[in-house]
Amino acid sequence: MKYVGLSSQIRKNNFNSVLLLVAFPLLLLAMFYVITWFIANNQGDAGTGYEPAPAIDANVTFLKIMPVVLIFVGIWFLIAWASHSTLIRLATKSHTLERKENKRVYNLLENLCISQGMSMPKLYIIEDDSLNAFASGINEKTYSISLSRGIIEKLNDEELEGVIAHELTHIRNRDVRLLIISIIFVGIFAFLAEMAFRSIRFGGIGRKRDKGGGAIILVIIVVTAVAYLISLLLRFGISRRREYLADAGASEITKKPYALASALRKISGDPMIEAVKSRDVAQLFIDNPQAKAKGAGIAGLFATHPPIEKRIQLLEQFV
Amino acid sequence: MAIWIVIGIIVLIILWVISIYNSLVRLRNRRQNAFADIDVQLRQRHDLVPQLVETVKGYGAHERDLLLKVTEARSAAINASSIDDKIVAEQQLTSALQGLRVQVEAYPDLKANQNFLQLQEELSDIENKLAASRRFFNAATTEYNNSVESFPGNLIARNFGFQREIFFDLGTENRKQMEEPPAVKF
Repeated sequence: MKYVGLSSQIRKNNFNSVLLLVAFPLLLLAMFYVITWFIANNQGDAGTGYEPAPAIDANVTFLKIMPVVLIFVGIWFLIAWASHSTLIRLATKSHTLERKENKRVYNLLENLCISQGMSMPKLYIIEDDSLNAFASGINEKTYSISLSRGIIEKLNDEELEGVIAHELTHIRNRDVRLLIISIIFVGIFAFLAEMAFRSIRFGGIGRKRDKGGGAIILVIIVVTAVAYLISLLLRFGISRRREYLADAGASEITKKPYALASALRKISGDPMIEAVKSRDVAQLFIDNPQAKAKGAGIAGLFATHPPIEKRIQLLEQFV
Repeated sequence: MAIWIVIGIIVLIILWVISIYNSLVRLRNRRQNAFADIDVQLRQRHDLVPQLVETVKGYGAHERDLLLKVTEARSAAINASSIDDKIVAEQQLTSALQGLRVQVEAYPDLKANQNFLQLQEELSDIENKLAASRRFFNAATTEYNNSVESFPGNLIARNFGFQREIFFDLGTENRKQMEEPPAVKF
């Protein structure tokens, strides 16, 4: 697999972030257009000798609802953007780690940052015995690395340094920024898909006499579900390659690939964190803390992280 | 028609020259910033040394020679002006401190002293940070040298006075000295 240089990866990530920011809303708009078009074109055949109701002009309706949709998405996005670090902290029940509390960890992070000329991200600790770590944040003020208590106590200095270097590489590559943007958009899609499912359950749209009504609902659901799946795939496709690149970046920073490999071995034994139920937050971790999400083949396509054996294998070939 | 194409090409070339010049400036400043960061760590070490000397003084009179050596090395490091002088002086301070650490092994009371332990811990932390900042300085220097020396950037670099810069290393004199096996006399 091709290793791209650090600055080119950062540039690609920034480009992809902008691309995503543009593509997801377009996808949303396309979805709405299709739905509007189907509703408009099914309005006519009411069935039992009705006078065909005035057909809704698809384009006009679309133009009318488009600004509403965009404003709604924009507000949702801004709120999520502003509050994501608080949400993540609440979801994982973590608290800040002061230098006094754990000099060893703090110094490891500080020294790595000095050797890369980076400013230090905030350090949080998750009170959990399992071994996991993640990075989050969208700009220098909000960058943070969270470590579980288990990983702090069970890994030795070299291994912990490798893990921290891995997370630091994610931050440096702006991976986290791209990931959070895509998570927010997938959240919007999920919301819409759920609304579509609810509308079929409670039958709000479509009168009983209107045979076309059932078809419309079906179309809405299918289109929404398809768009949701596409966005899911996009989200996951983004993160697997980055994990490999973050491993490579970490080896470059610490010059000790074997240390990270041995850390991954220990982590693969116990990555589950009980506190994390949400699938979205799970994705930010160094190894997916929900055991079900691993696997090869089709399931592998949906895996948020590459199989850990493969990661260890890649690292150890450089020993 | 042709004149516009020519003007367009000239404008493009000018823009390209400007962007390369700017990136050279950025890399050079990044390197200088990295060197200033090393200075910060060195200064912190200079500040710690008197405290260390005071703590050790209370525990043994005939360590005076060693303490004197450490104090002298520190003053030399603070007063060094050129980069080469600085590097040499700092190396001497490092070896003096290491000598102190070895001698202290013979004084269990001192080793158990909380103050002393804390100072030692902070000193070794600073040594680690020094190593990290040196690594970053060398990385920044490499990046800068790459830009200055690769084609086509080197055409512009030469015209505007950017040149290859040195690394933070021991220099050829000291390297020779370091590579001589230590004389062991019985």
